[in-house]
Amino acid sequence: MRITLGAAGVALITVGLFLLLPLPGLWGVVVGFAGAIALHDVVIGPLVLLAGLLVARLPDRAVVRGALITMGALVLITVPVLLRPGPPPNPTLLAQPYGLNLLICLVAVAVVAVVLVLVRRRR
Amino acid sequence: MGAMRSALPQFRGRLHDPRTAVAIGRWLGAAIVVCFLTGLISHVLQHPPGWAAGLLPTRPVWGYRLTQGLHVASGLAAIVLVMAKLWTVYPRLFAWPPFRSLTHLVERLTIALLVAATVFELFTGLINILQWYPWPFSFTQAHYAVAWIVAGSLLLHLAVKAPLIRAHWRRKTSDVDAADRRALLAGVGAAVGAVTLTTVGQAFTPLRAFDLLAPRNPDNATQGVPVNRTAAAAQVTHASAADWALEVGGPAPYRISLAELTALPQRRVRLPIACVEGWSVDAWWTGVPIRDLLARAGIPPGTAVRVTSMEVWGYYRTTAMPAPYADDPQTLLALRLNDEVLSLDHGYPARIIAPNRPGVLQTKWVSRLEVL
Repeated sequence: MRITLGAAGVALITVGLFLLLPLPGLWGVVVGFAGAIALHDVVIGPLVLLAGLLVARLPDRAVVRGALITMGALVLITVPVLLRPGPPPNPTLLAQPYGLNLLICLVAVAVVAVVLVLVRRRR
Repeated sequence: MGAMRSALPQFRGRLHDPRTAVAIGRWLGAAIVVCFLTGLISHVLQHPPGWAAGLLPTRPVWGYRLTQGLHVASGLAAIVLVMAKLWTVYPRLFAWPPFRSLTHLVERLTIALLVAATVFELFTGLINILQWYPWPFSFTQAHYAVAWIVAGSLLLHLAVKAPLIRAHWRRKTSDVDAADRRALLAGVGAAVGAVTLTTVGQAFTPLRAFDLLAPRNPDNATQGVPVNRTAAAAQVTHASAADWALEVGGPAPYRISLAELTALPQRRVRLPIACVEGWSVDAWWTGVPIRDLLARAGIPPGTAVRVTSMEVWGYYRTTAMPAPYADDPQTLLALRLNDEVLSLDHGYPARIIAPNRPGVLQTKWVSRLEVL
């Protein structure tokens, strides 16, 4: 069973490499792979761990941690929109006020977190 | 050696453990499986291998709307889950010695491949839905190829870790970290929920009001439908559309003006337009069934056709329409959208709308139909 699964995995990787290696601009994929690991292991990972250390001793740590994870996730998926250079390709694409909307979402998460803390303390 | 080891970071957090990795890994695995399968569906619909073209299903009409909406939603969810998963296993990055045996080295290298391919795949997908291409490769080709590497290295990872996964599939009764872990998982679940809630409205109309962060909000639309490729980008103008006539090639080729087309029996259908980038909307389309136009040229049912657009340049200026779509009574050469004459950006004078088809193949500014 494990052998079959592993062999299937190797087969699919081979299919992927077979499709990938002839592509023009392959160096961009190689840089992307290395960059993906570097971005996480050197930048995002340590930042998240640092945040974890800072909240470790806080009261209501569980709720604070959940709120920070949620906020971090919302920021992570919105940052590329905010960083994208150039005007939107057309008026129906990227037409939302992303900075403001992100702020609204973060405030909403904070409000939910505060309510959760209050409810848990009353119990 | 000893000095090197003491220079490595020490991790005391107890949720960097196999049980947490298994709990998050299950969700991540499910998201990746959904993302991979829906991606394959999209690939086959857009680039069918020759033998499959005649077998593509045109029902349900909302099929592609569902699968591509799921593709983007599961990809966005996976971004959150992969971050949580990597956080859990992060201390293992500093394992010392770096490898104990050849097997252990190979295992670590395959994990590096899994992480690199997965993060690359999710990141390029996210950037692509913004129509931002800061790389030297073709997005579609690289995203498709790397999908197989992600799927393969995931299977390999499951095979290698099978005993550990089995051992930690269920929580142990003696587990002192259960409450803390539950809280962490609730936080990760909340993050996935928040990301989904604020983006899925671009495809799932009932949640449209919460679509605050998606690249598309279908409320920003003309005639009720967003636009991907504008007439300006396609270099189509009202002047170039003015003396337009449709050419239909076949055993009895003919040309037909817009006035004559409008005088033919019309059909009004409700079909979604669903983009590969994940947004979709339902709309009313009015026009002449493609199969009627083909029959007039003496083209028999069961024939695949080539559709050519007036656009000057574009990857999809000519597209192949496999026989199942050409035969379908709901596939129209549409002249009207939501009961108005098509705007130039929506493909005036005439565009294709077919059921269960990626938006990029719903060719706009159609000038010619012919046997493929």
